[in-house]
Amino acid sequence: MSSDRHLRAVDDSYHAPDGVTLGTSGTGEVITPRGLVRAANLDSLLTQAARGSGAAFEQIYDNISGAVYGTALRVVRDPQLAEDVAQEALVEVWRTAARFRPDAGSARAWILTIAHRRAVDRVRSEQAHTTRLRHHGKPDDKQAPTDNVVDTMFAEWEAARVRAGLAELTELQREAIILAYYKGYTHREVSEALDIPLGTAKARLRDGLMKLRDMWEVAR
Amino acid sequence: MSEDVHALLGPYIVGAVSDEECADFEAHLATCSSCTEDVANLLEVTAVLGEAEAVAPPLSLRARVMDEIAVTAQVTPTATPIAATATVAPADATVTALADHPRRRRFTLIGVAAASLLVLAGVGIGIGSAVQDRQQQLAFEKDVMMVTSAPDAHAMDLELGSAHLVMSERMDAVVVMGDDAPMPHDGMEYQLWLVMDDGKAMPGPTFMPDDGSFMAMMHAGFDGVVAFAITEEPHGGSEAPTSDPIAVTEI
Ligand SMILES: [Zn+2]
Repeated sequence: MSSDRHLRAVDDSYHAPDGVTLGTSGTGEVITPRGLVRAANLDSLLTQAARGSGAAFEQIYDNISGAVYGTALRVVRDPQLAEDVAQEALVEVWRTAARFRPDAGSARAWILTIAHRRAVDRVRSEQAHTTRLRHHGKPDDKQAPTDNVVDTMFAEWEAARVRAGLAELTELQREAIILAYYKGYTHREVSEALDIPLGTAKARLRDGLMKLRDMWEVAR
Repeated sequence: MSEDVHALLGPYIVGAVSDEECADFEAHLATCSSCTEDVANLLEVTAVLGEAEAVAPPLSLRARVMDEIAVTAQVTPTATPIAATATVAPADATVTALADHPRRRRFTLIGVAAASLLVLAGVGIGIGSAVQDRQQQLAFEKDVMMVTSAPDAHAMDLELGSAHLVMSERMDAVVVMGDDAPMPHDGMEYQLWLVMDDGKAMPGPTFMPDDGSFMAMMHAGFDGVVAFAITEEPHGGSEAPTSDPIAVTEI
Protein backbone atom coordinates (compact mmCIF):
# COMPACT_ATOMS: atom_id res chain seq x y z
CA MET A 1 0.00 0.00 0.00
CA SER A 2 2.68 2.40 0.97
CA SER A 3 4.34 2.14 -2.41
CA ASP A 4 1.29 3.71 -4.01
CA ARG A 5 2.53 6.96 -2.72
CA HIS A 6 5.76 7.26 -4.62
CA LEU A 7 7.40 7.89 -6.96
CA ARG A 8 6.45 8.41 -10.52
CA ALA A 9 8.78 11.37 -10.22
CA VAL A 10 11.86 9.62 -9.02
CA ASP A 11 15.05 10.94 -10.46
CA ASP A 12 17.05 8.39 -12.42
CA SER A 13 20.18 9.39 -10.63
CA TYR A 14 18.76 8.62 -7.24
CA HIS A 15 19.40 5.23 -5.72
CA ALA A 16 16.92 4.20 -3.09
CA PRO A 17 18.35 2.83 0.14
CA ASP A 18 18.03 -0.94 0.51
CA GLY A 19 14.62 -2.20 1.39
CA VAL A 20 12.80 0.86 0.11
CA THR A 21 10.22 0.21 -2.55
CA LEU A 22 9.43 2.77 -5.14
CA GLY A 23 6.03 2.65 -6.69
CA THR A 24 4.00 4.89 -8.87
CA SER A 25 1.35 7.31 -7.86
CA GLY A 26 -2.19 6.84 -9.12
CA THR A 27 -3.24 8.20 -12.46
CA GLY A 28 -5.77 10.79 -13.42
CA GLU A 29 -5.92 12.67 -10.17
CA VAL A 30 -6.35 16.38 -10.22
CA ILE A 31 -3.42 18.64 -9.69
CA THR A 32 -4.82 21.57 -7.83
CA PRO A 33 -2.53 24.48 -7.25
CA ARG A 34 -3.24 24.90 -3.60
CA GLY A 35 -2.18 21.36 -2.95
CA LEU A 36 -4.22 18.24 -2.57
CA VAL A 37 -4.16 18.52 1.17
CA ARG A 38 -6.38 21.54 1.12
CA ALA A 39 -8.22 20.74 -2.08
CA ALA A 40 -9.48 17.32 -1.08
CA ASN A 41 -11.11 18.97 1.86
CA LEU A 42 -12.85 21.70 -0.05
CA ASP A 43 -15.37 19.48 -1.85
CA SER A 44 -16.54 18.08 1.44
CA LEU A 45 -16.63 21.48 3.13
CA LEU A 46 -18.80 22.86 0.36
CA THR A 47 -21.21 19.97 0.72
CA GLN A 48 -21.43 20.73 4.44
CA ALA A 49 -21.94 24.43 3.77
CA ALA A 50 -24.82 23.52 1.46
CA ARG A 51 -26.52 21.99 4.47
CA GLY A 52 -26.16 25.21 6.41
CA SER A 53 -22.84 24.76 8.19
CA GLY A 54 -21.40 28.19 8.86
CA ALA A 55 -18.29 26.59 10.36
CA ALA A 56 -17.63 24.75 7.10
CA PHE A 57 -18.12 28.00 5.20
CA GLU A 58 -15.56 29.75 7.38
CA GLN A 59 -13.01 27.12 6.44
CA ILE A 60 -13.92 27.51 2.80
CA TYR A 61 -13.38 31.24 3.18
CA ASP A 62 -9.95 30.75 4.72
CA ASN A 63 -8.99 28.35 1.96
CA ILE A 64 -10.12 30.23 -1.10
CA SER A 65 -10.81 33.91 -0.33
CA GLY A 66 -7.32 34.80 -1.55
CA ALA A 67 -7.95 33.24 -4.94
CA VAL A 68 -11.45 34.73 -5.14
CA TYR A 69 -10.22 38.21 -4.27
CA GLY A 70 -7.12 37.88 -6.45
CA THR A 71 -9.15 36.76 -9.46
CA ALA A 72 -11.54 39.66 -8.98
CA LEU A 73 -8.68 42.11 -8.55
CA ARG A 74 -6.96 40.93 -11.68
CA VAL A 75 -10.12 41.42 -13.75
CA VAL A 76 -11.57 44.63 -12.27
CA ARG A 77 -8.18 46.17 -11.37
CA ASP A 78 -9.51 48.19 -8.49
CA PRO A 79 -9.11 47.00 -4.89
CA GLN A 80 -12.39 48.45 -3.65
CA LEU A 81 -14.33 47.01 -6.55
CA ALA A 82 -12.53 43.69 -6.20
CA GLU A 83 -13.57 43.53 -2.57
CA ASP A 84 -17.20 44.09 -3.50
CA VAL A 85 -17.00 41.44 -6.20
CA ALA A 86 -15.35 38.97 -3.83
CA GLN A 87 -18.04 39.56 -1.24
CA GLU A 88 -20.83 39.06 -3.79
CA ALA A 89 -19.20 35.93 -5.12
CA LEU A 90 -18.60 34.37 -1.70
CA VAL A 91 -22.15 35.09 -0.61
CA GLU A 92 -23.36 33.51 -3.85
CA VAL A 93 -21.25 30.46 -3.03
CA TRP A 94 -23.02 30.21 0.31
CA ARG A 95 -26.44 30.79 -1.18
CA THR A 96 -26.13 28.32 -4.05
CA ALA A 97 -23.81 25.73 -2.49
CA ALA A 98 -26.49 23.06 -2.95
CA ARG A 99 -25.98 23.34 -6.70
CA PHE A 100 -22.40 22.17 -6.46
CA ARG A 101 -22.03 18.70 -7.95
CA PRO A 102 -18.79 17.00 -6.89
CA ASP A 103 -18.84 14.67 -9.89
CA ALA A 104 -19.02 17.57 -12.34
CA GLY A 105 -15.87 19.40 -11.22
CA SER A 106 -13.97 20.43 -8.12
CA ALA A 107 -15.36 22.80 -5.51
CA ARG A 108 -12.37 25.02 -6.22
CA ALA A 109 -13.25 25.32 -9.90
CA TRP A 110 -16.91 25.85 -9.10
CA ILE A 111 -16.18 28.68 -6.66
CA LEU A 112 -13.59 30.37 -8.83
CA THR A 113 -15.94 30.22 -11.82
CA ILE A 114 -18.54 32.12 -9.82
CA ALA A 115 -15.93 34.67 -8.78
CA HIS A 116 -14.65 35.12 -12.32
CA ARG A 117 -18.16 35.56 -13.76
CA ARG A 118 -19.02 38.15 -11.14
CA ALA A 119 -15.83 40.02 -11.90
CA VAL A 120 -16.43 39.94 -15.63
CA ASP A 121 -20.03 41.11 -15.18
CA ARG A 122 -18.76 43.98 -13.10
CA VAL A 123 -16.07 45.04 -15.47
CA ARG A 124 -18.50 44.95 -18.38
CA SER A 125 -20.99 47.16 -16.61
CA GLU A 126 -18.38 49.53 -15.19
CA GLN A 127 -16.31 50.09 -18.27
CA ALA A 128 -17.42 51.08 -21.71
CA HIS A 129 -16.37 48.74 -24.47
CA THR A 130 -14.07 51.36 -25.97
CA THR A 131 -12.26 51.94 -22.69
CA ARG A 132 -11.39 48.31 -22.43
CA LEU A 133 -10.18 48.18 -25.99
CA ARG A 134 -7.94 51.16 -25.37
CA HIS A 135 -6.38 49.48 -22.38
CA HIS A 136 -5.42 46.41 -24.33
CA GLY A 137 -1.87 45.62 -23.33
CA LYS A 138 0.20 43.41 -21.12
CA PRO A 139 -1.41 42.27 -17.89
CA ASP A 140 -0.26 44.07 -14.77
CA ASP A 141 2.09 42.35 -12.45
CA LYS A 142 0.38 41.47 -9.25
CA GLN A 143 1.74 41.51 -5.76
CA ALA A 144 2.20 38.23 -4.02
CA PRO A 145 0.89 37.92 -0.50
CA THR A 146 3.69 38.33 1.99
CA ASP A 147 2.23 37.23 5.28
CA ASN A 148 3.57 33.70 5.19
CA VAL A 149 6.74 32.51 3.55
CA VAL A 150 5.31 29.17 2.50
CA ASP A 151 2.24 30.78 0.96
CA THR A 152 4.46 33.27 -0.79
CA MET A 153 6.72 30.61 -2.22
CA PHE A 154 3.69 28.70 -3.23
CA ALA A 155 2.08 31.64 -4.96
CA GLU A 156 5.31 32.23 -6.87
CA TRP A 157 5.42 28.61 -7.84
CA GLU A 158 1.87 28.73 -9.14
CA ALA A 159 2.42 31.96 -11.00
CA ALA A 160 5.54 30.49 -12.60
CA ARG A 161 3.57 27.46 -13.66
CA VAL A 162 0.93 29.62 -15.27
CA ARG A 163 3.54 31.76 -17.03
CA ALA A 164 5.28 28.65 -18.32
CA GLY A 165 1.96 27.23 -19.52
CA LEU A 166 0.92 30.40 -21.31
CA ALA A 167 4.35 30.58 -22.92
CA GLU A 168 3.70 27.21 -24.58
CA LEU A 169 0.62 28.51 -26.38
CA THR A 170 0.61 30.11 -29.79
CA GLU A 171 0.51 33.89 -29.82
CA LEU A 172 -3.16 33.94 -30.79
CA GLN A 173 -4.17 31.36 -28.20
CA ARG A 174 -2.35 33.26 -25.51
CA GLU A 175 -3.66 36.69 -26.48
CA ALA A 176 -7.21 35.40 -26.78
CA ILE A 177 -7.10 33.85 -23.32
CA ILE A 178 -5.50 36.91 -21.75
CA LEU A 179 -8.08 39.26 -23.23
CA ALA A 180 -11.04 37.05 -22.39
CA TYR A 181 -10.10 35.63 -19.02
CA TYR A 182 -8.08 38.42 -17.46
CA LYS A 183 -9.80 41.38 -19.08
CA GLY A 184 -13.35 40.22 -19.48
CA TYR A 185 -13.56 40.62 -23.26
CA THR A 186 -16.38 38.83 -25.03
CA HIS A 187 -15.38 36.60 -27.92
CA ARG A 188 -16.56 39.31 -30.30
CA GLU A 189 -14.27 41.84 -28.64
CA VAL A 190 -11.44 39.33 -28.77
CA SER A 191 -11.91 38.89 -32.51
CA GLU A 192 -12.00 42.67 -32.99
CA ALA A 193 -8.96 43.35 -30.82
CA LEU A 194 -6.88 40.65 -32.48
CA ASP A 195 -8.34 41.35 -35.90
CA ILE A 196 -9.29 37.75 -36.54
CA PRO A 197 -12.62 36.19 -37.63
CA LEU A 198 -15.08 35.39 -34.85
CA GLY A 199 -14.86 31.64 -35.51
CA THR A 200 -11.09 31.81 -35.17
CA ALA A 201 -11.35 33.65 -31.87
CA LYS A 202 -13.67 30.99 -30.46
CA ALA A 203 -11.45 28.20 -31.72
CA ARG A 204 -8.24 29.71 -30.33
CA LEU A 205 -9.84 30.06 -26.90
CA ARG A 206 -10.86 26.41 -26.97
CA ASP A 207 -7.52 25.07 -28.30
CA GLY A 208 -5.54 27.19 -25.87
CA LEU A 209 -7.52 25.95 -22.88
CA MET A 210 -7.21 22.36 -24.04
CA LYS A 211 -3.49 22.70 -24.43
CA LEU A 212 -3.20 24.05 -20.88
CA ARG A 213 -5.38 21.22 -19.65
CA ASP A 214 -3.11 18.64 -21.26
CA MET A 215 0.02 20.31 -19.95
CA TRP A 216 -1.28 20.61 -16.42
CA GLU A 217 -3.13 17.30 -16.40
CA VAL A 218 -6.08 18.84 -14.69
CA ALA A 219 -8.70 16.63 -16.34
CA ARG A 220 -10.89 14.71 -13.93
CA MET B 1 -27.25 25.63 -35.26
CA SER B 2 -25.99 23.15 -32.70
CA GLU B 3 -22.64 23.45 -34.45
CA ASP B 4 -22.66 27.13 -33.46
CA VAL B 5 -23.53 26.35 -29.88
CA HIS B 6 -20.74 23.76 -29.64
CA ALA B 7 -18.30 26.45 -30.70
CA LEU B 8 -19.17 28.50 -27.64
CA LEU B 9 -17.28 26.04 -25.45
CA GLY B 10 -14.06 28.05 -25.27
CA PRO B 11 -15.74 31.42 -24.82
CA TYR B 12 -18.06 29.96 -22.18
CA ILE B 13 -15.19 28.65 -20.08
CA VAL B 14 -13.46 32.03 -19.89
CA GLY B 15 -16.71 33.94 -19.45
CA ALA B 16 -16.47 35.54 -22.90
CA VAL B 17 -20.14 35.08 -23.70
CA SER B 18 -23.20 37.30 -23.40
CA ASP B 19 -25.92 36.35 -20.92
CA GLU B 20 -27.99 35.03 -23.80
CA GLU B 21 -25.16 32.91 -25.20
CA CYS B 22 -24.44 31.63 -21.73
CA ALA B 23 -28.03 30.47 -21.35
CA ASP B 24 -27.98 28.87 -24.82
CA PHE B 25 -24.79 27.02 -24.08
CA GLU B 26 -25.99 25.77 -20.71
CA ALA B 27 -29.17 24.50 -22.38
CA HIS B 28 -26.97 22.76 -24.94
CA LEU B 29 -24.98 21.05 -22.18
CA ALA B 30 -28.07 19.13 -21.13
CA THR B 31 -27.97 17.33 -24.48
CA CYS B 32 -24.24 17.16 -25.26
CA SER B 33 -22.10 14.86 -23.18
CA SER B 34 -18.94 15.83 -25.04
CA CYS B 35 -19.29 19.51 -24.14
CA THR B 36 -20.32 18.58 -20.59
CA GLU B 37 -17.13 16.62 -20.11
CA ASP B 38 -15.00 19.36 -21.64
CA VAL B 39 -16.59 21.98 -19.42
CA ALA B 40 -15.74 19.99 -16.29
CA ASN B 41 -12.12 19.64 -17.39
CA LEU B 42 -11.57 23.12 -18.72
CA LEU B 43 -13.00 24.85 -15.66
CA GLU B 44 -10.16 23.19 -13.75
CA VAL B 45 -7.79 25.01 -16.11
CA THR B 46 -9.29 28.40 -15.35
CA ALA B 47 -9.22 27.47 -11.66
CA VAL B 48 -5.44 27.19 -11.98
CA LEU B 49 -5.33 30.61 -13.63
CA GLY B 50 -7.44 32.08 -10.85
CA GLU B 51 -5.54 30.41 -8.06
CA ALA B 52 -2.27 31.82 -9.39
CA GLU B 53 -3.70 35.31 -8.81
CA ALA B 54 -4.33 34.67 -5.12
CA VAL B 55 -3.74 37.74 -2.96
CA ALA B 56 -4.71 38.03 0.67
CA PRO B 57 -7.90 40.12 0.81
CA PRO B 58 -8.36 42.93 3.34
CA LEU B 59 -9.07 41.45 6.76
CA SER B 60 -12.37 43.29 7.03
CA LEU B 61 -13.79 41.28 4.14
CA ARG B 62 -14.13 38.17 6.24
CA ALA B 63 -16.41 39.76 8.81
CA ARG B 64 -18.55 41.39 6.13
CA VAL B 65 -19.02 38.09 4.29
CA MET B 66 -19.84 36.21 7.48
CA ASP B 67 -22.33 38.89 8.54
CA GLU B 68 -24.04 38.71 5.19
CA ILE B 69 -24.30 34.93 4.98
CA ALA B 70 -25.82 34.90 8.46
CA VAL B 71 -28.85 36.63 6.98
CA THR B 72 -28.79 35.00 3.53
CA ALA B 73 -31.12 32.09 2.85
CA GLN B 74 -29.68 29.16 0.93
CA VAL B 75 -31.22 27.37 -2.01
CA THR B 76 -32.23 23.88 -0.95
CA PRO B 77 -30.71 20.78 -2.54
CA THR B 78 -34.01 19.79 -4.11
CA ALA B 79 -34.35 23.16 -5.80
CA THR B 80 -31.40 22.53 -8.09
CA PRO B 81 -32.75 23.67 -11.41
CA ILE B 82 -30.06 25.38 -13.46
CA ALA B 83 -27.64 22.48 -13.50
CA ALA B 84 -24.89 22.93 -16.01
CA THR B 85 -25.25 19.21 -16.54
CA ALA B 86 -28.38 17.26 -17.21
CA THR B 87 -29.02 15.19 -14.14
CA VAL B 88 -30.09 16.58 -10.83
CA ALA B 89 -28.70 14.55 -8.00
CA PRO B 90 -30.67 14.16 -4.80
CA ALA B 91 -28.77 14.96 -1.63
CA ASP B 92 -27.98 11.32 -0.93
CA ALA B 93 -26.44 10.76 -4.31
CA THR B 94 -24.21 13.76 -3.73
CA VAL B 95 -22.90 12.24 -0.54
CA THR B 96 -22.20 8.94 -2.24
CA ALA B 97 -20.36 10.60 -5.09
CA LEU B 98 -18.19 12.41 -2.60
CA ALA B 99 -17.29 9.26 -0.74
CA ASP B 100 -16.21 7.73 -4.05
CA HIS B 101 -14.16 10.70 -4.98
CA PRO B 102 -10.81 9.57 -6.32
CA ARG B 103 -8.88 12.39 -4.71
CA ARG B 104 -10.26 11.63 -1.31
CA ARG B 105 -9.37 7.98 -1.61
CA ARG B 106 -5.91 8.86 -2.70
CA PHE B 107 -5.51 11.32 0.11
CA THR B 108 -6.27 8.66 2.68
CA LEU B 109 -3.67 6.40 1.15
CA ILE B 110 -1.08 9.08 1.39
CA GLY B 111 -1.65 9.59 5.07
CA VAL B 112 -1.11 5.92 5.81
CA ALA B 113 1.90 5.62 3.57
CA ALA B 114 3.74 8.64 4.82
CA ALA B 115 3.39 7.65 8.45
CA SER B 116 4.63 4.11 8.02
CA LEU B 117 8.14 4.49 6.64
CA LEU B 118 11.21 6.22 7.84
CA VAL B 119 12.57 7.11 4.46
CA LEU B 120 10.45 6.48 1.43
CA ALA B 121 12.37 8.10 -1.32
CA GLY B 122 13.69 11.38 -2.49
CA VAL B 123 13.80 13.17 -5.74
CA GLY B 124 15.50 16.23 -7.04
CA ILE B 125 15.41 18.09 -10.29
CA GLY B 126 16.53 21.35 -11.74
CA ILE B 127 13.43 23.38 -12.46
CA GLY B 128 12.54 23.15 -16.12
CA SER B 129 15.18 20.52 -16.73
CA ALA B 130 14.62 19.26 -20.26
CA VAL B 131 15.60 15.69 -19.53
CA GLN B 132 12.71 15.17 -17.14
CA ASP B 133 9.72 13.51 -18.59
CA ARG B 134 6.69 15.75 -18.47
CA GLN B 135 4.62 13.29 -16.47
CA GLN B 136 7.32 12.92 -13.89
CA GLN B 137 7.68 16.64 -13.62
CA LEU B 138 3.98 17.12 -13.02
CA ALA B 139 3.85 14.40 -10.40
CA PHE B 140 6.85 15.91 -8.73
CA GLU B 141 5.37 19.40 -8.73
CA LYS B 142 2.24 18.05 -7.18
CA ASP B 143 4.12 16.25 -4.44
CA VAL B 144 6.10 19.37 -3.67
CA MET B 145 2.92 21.38 -3.51
CA MET B 146 1.41 18.95 -1.06
CA VAL B 147 4.34 19.37 1.25
CA THR B 148 4.66 23.13 1.01
CA SER B 149 0.94 23.63 1.51
CA ALA B 150 0.58 21.19 4.39
CA PRO B 151 -1.04 22.81 7.43
CA ASP B 152 2.08 22.29 9.55
CA ALA B 153 4.63 23.21 6.86
CA HIS B 154 7.32 25.55 8.07
CA ALA B 155 10.15 27.16 6.23
CA MET B 156 13.78 27.69 7.24
CA ASP B 157 16.62 29.39 5.47
CA LEU B 158 19.05 27.26 3.51
CA GLU B 159 22.39 28.72 2.59
CA LEU B 160 22.64 27.58 -0.98
CA GLY B 161 22.06 30.63 -3.13
CA SER B 162 18.77 32.15 -2.08
CA ALA B 163 16.93 29.14 -0.76
CA HIS B 164 14.46 27.73 1.72
CA LEU B 165 13.88 24.39 3.25
CA VAL B 166 10.29 23.50 4.04
CA MET B 167 9.47 20.60 6.29
CA SER B 168 6.16 19.09 7.24
CA GLU B 169 5.98 16.47 9.95
CA ARG B 170 2.43 15.77 8.99
CA MET B 171 3.58 14.91 5.47
CA ASP B 172 6.81 13.29 6.65
CA ALA B 173 8.62 15.23 4.01
CA VAL B 174 11.13 17.95 3.42
CA VAL B 175 11.49 20.14 0.34
CA VAL B 176 14.47 22.30 -0.54
CA MET B 177 13.94 25.00 -3.15
CA GLY B 178 15.76 28.10 -4.21
CA ASP B 179 17.41 30.30 -6.81
CA ASP B 180 20.85 31.68 -7.55
CA ALA B 181 22.65 28.52 -6.50
CA PRO B 182 26.18 28.11 -7.89
CA MET B 183 26.86 25.04 -10.02
CA PRO B 184 28.68 22.23 -8.22
CA HIS B 185 32.12 21.23 -9.45
CA ASP B 186 32.45 19.20 -12.66
CA GLY B 187 31.13 15.68 -12.30
CA MET B 188 29.52 16.51 -8.97
CA GLU B 189 25.93 17.00 -7.88
CA TYR B 190 24.36 18.36 -4.73
CA GLN B 191 22.93 15.84 -2.31
CA LEU B 192 20.58 16.41 0.62
CA TRP B 193 21.18 14.59 3.91
CA LEU B 194 19.28 14.10 7.13
CA VAL B 195 21.69 14.41 10.02
CA MET B 196 20.65 12.19 12.93
CA ASP B 197 21.28 12.83 16.64
CA ASP B 198 23.92 10.07 16.64
CA GLY B 199 25.83 11.91 13.92
CA LYS B 200 24.90 9.56 11.08
CA ALA B 201 23.64 10.99 7.81
CA MET B 202 20.70 9.51 5.94
CA PRO B 203 21.09 9.95 2.16
CA GLY B 204 18.56 12.08 0.34
CA PRO B 205 18.12 12.96 -3.31
CA THR B 206 20.72 14.53 -5.55
CA PHE B 207 19.92 17.61 -7.59
CA MET B 208 21.48 20.09 -9.99
CA PRO B 209 20.57 23.76 -10.29
CA ASP B 210 19.08 24.79 -13.60
CA ASP B 211 20.01 28.37 -14.29
CA GLY B 212 20.52 28.66 -10.53
CA SER B 213 17.09 27.24 -9.62
CA PHE B 214 16.66 23.95 -7.88
CA MET B 215 14.09 21.92 -6.05
CA ALA B 216 14.31 18.57 -4.33
CA MET B 217 12.10 16.60 -2.02
CA MET B 218 12.61 13.77 0.42
CA HIS B 219 10.13 11.73 2.36
CA ALA B 220 11.31 10.84 5.82
CA GLY B 221 10.27 10.60 9.41
CA PHE B 222 11.89 13.30 11.52
CA ASP B 223 12.42 11.37 14.74
CA GLY B 224 16.02 11.84 15.80
CA VAL B 225 16.78 14.24 12.96
CA VAL B 226 18.73 17.26 14.18
CA ALA B 227 19.72 18.96 10.94
CA PHE B 228 19.60 18.95 7.17
CA ALA B 229 22.81 19.20 5.21
CA ILE B 230 23.88 19.61 1.60
CA THR B 231 27.12 18.24 0.21
CA GLU B 232 28.66 17.90 -3.22
CA GLU B 233 28.82 14.26 -4.24
CA PRO B 234 29.91 12.39 -7.36
CA HIS B 235 27.19 12.03 -9.97
CA GLY B 236 24.48 9.66 -8.72
CA GLY B 237 25.01 10.50 -5.08
CA SER B 238 26.64 8.62 -2.24
CA GLU B 239 25.53 6.31 0.55
CA ALA B 240 27.48 8.41 3.05
CA PRO B 241 28.81 11.95 2.66
CA THR B 242 32.23 12.14 1.00
CA SER B 243 32.79 15.84 1.58
CA ASP B 244 32.09 18.52 4.16
CA PRO B 245 28.63 20.07 4.03
CA ILE B 246 28.37 23.34 2.13
CA ALA B 247 25.10 24.19 3.88
CA VAL B 248 23.56 23.05 7.13
CA THR B 249 20.13 23.91 8.51
CA GLU B 250 19.53 22.86 12.07
CA ILE B 251 16.04 22.04 13.22
ZN1 LIG C 1 -21.62 20.24 -27.52
